[in-house]
Amino acid sequence: MDPFDSFLKDYSGVIPDFQEYLEDLRRPMPLYFRINTLKTSMAMVKNLLARDGIISEDTCIPELLLIKKQDPSRQLLAYYLGLIYPQALSSCLPVLALSPGRTDRVLDLCAAPGGKSTHMAQLMRDMGLVVANDRKLGRLTALMANIKRLGITNTIVTQARGEHYTSNIQFDKVLVDAPCSGIGRYRIDPAGRIRHMRCGKTDLPAIQKALILRAFDLLRHCGVMVYSTCTLNVEENEGVLHYLLQKRDAEITHWEPPVTWSPGIDKFRKQEYDSRVRLARRFYPHKVRSVGFFLARIIKR
Amino acid sequence: MAFLEKRFGMDATGFSPWQIYAFRRQAFLFRRQQDGPWFQRDSFVRCGLPFMRIVAGFLKPTTVFIQRFGNRASRNCIDLSMKQIAELCTNGSLHISKITGENRIIDAPGYVVIRTGGLDLGIGLIMEDERLLCRFPKSIRQALSR
Repeated sequence: MDPFDSFLKDYSGVIPDFQEYLEDLRRPMPLYFRINTLKTSMAMVKNLLARDGIISEDTCIPELLLIKKQDPSRQLLAYYLGLIYPQALSSCLPVLALSPGRTDRVLDLCAAPGGKSTHMAQLMRDMGLVVANDRKLGRLTALMANIKRLGITNTIVTQARGEHYTSNIQFDKVLVDAPCSGIGRYRIDPAGRIRHMRCGKTDLPAIQKALILRAFDLLRHCGVMVYSTCTLNVEENEGVLHYLLQKRDAEITHWEPPVTWSPGIDKFRKQEYDSRVRLARRFYPHKVRSVGFFLARIIKR
Repeated sequence: MAFLEKRFGMDATGFSPWQIYAFRRQAFLFRRQQDGPWFQRDSFVRCGLPFMRIVAGFLKPTTVFIQRFGNRASRNCIDLSMKQIAELCTNGSLHISKITGENRIIDAPGYVVIRTGGLDLGIGLIMEDERLLCRFPKSIRQALSR
């Protein structure tokens, strides 16, 4: 069976309003721009976008604009001046859950291409410290280009495998936006093919489990960690949280997102997970009009 | 910092929350850490924002630095109209006799901050023959030459 058909079979009873979800997969993913408030104001960017024929609309996230109409052939001056960053609405949520402060030392363990790292730097008003790490040099190039384009000065870029990351400091906050199967990004094109499907035999849950443990160990006492993925797959989400709760003295905390959410799943097929995983947040693409996402806010006790 | 103060009138004390890292011919501006540094130089790939380079023996502020901190400049700044910007980007140069009045605050030939409508776009270079050369990256030149 095709992996996506298998996914649909397993999740038809899990995803709310499943028929609506299937219909939504055929619609193009809405485009959002995050405004770089380190360099400019919302009003200035709106004017600049209007000059380029772009119609935008405010969203529930103050620094994020929904793009209603855009000529794809135009080169956007606002982009080259580092005033905007194209970013999905749900992709902003892990940073909002982490809520980095101006004096915090924050680690982004899987940072490239830098959407969340730069968003954190922006919320910190370019103060404190952001360590943006990724393991692949090619991906670091995009990360460094984005940090530079957005004019950020509080960020150090490191290259290491997240599972083996070493540091002589402990962090106040850690973000693990783990590599995943990306089911939340799936779209069905007019020819009926699945777009953004990742094929491969990588054991993603094993990597994610190693990442979440390492990230947790890098946190200071009472530090906050956010684990997030852009997949709806339970093994990569609740399964990984369950593993952390078994191995470490971690606590998943309540967080109220600004968009529609569903709780984590503690029973799936024949597997039962720690009931605390219900405190995690699931964001379905047809409910948030963006990429499907999963996140959990965790505190080190 | 002395160069920025002398050439662009940027208050050097305004940059006290930052420290400077120099790598070869480029300097980086990095937010000063309260009890740092904890990172060895060989443990990171990049640190902070590139802000100054040496070009042909002269200091040149980077475009990304000007776009972020250019609003602190009070001297050697040129405010151009979008039409003049388009001409500058298309032809690569503009004669400064076309720029008049309060929009032109230039001490001497050298690097200048180019602005339009409250936006700092990047760096230009005033030559002895009073031509303003465009020193924007290609991507910005292309986006502006429409």
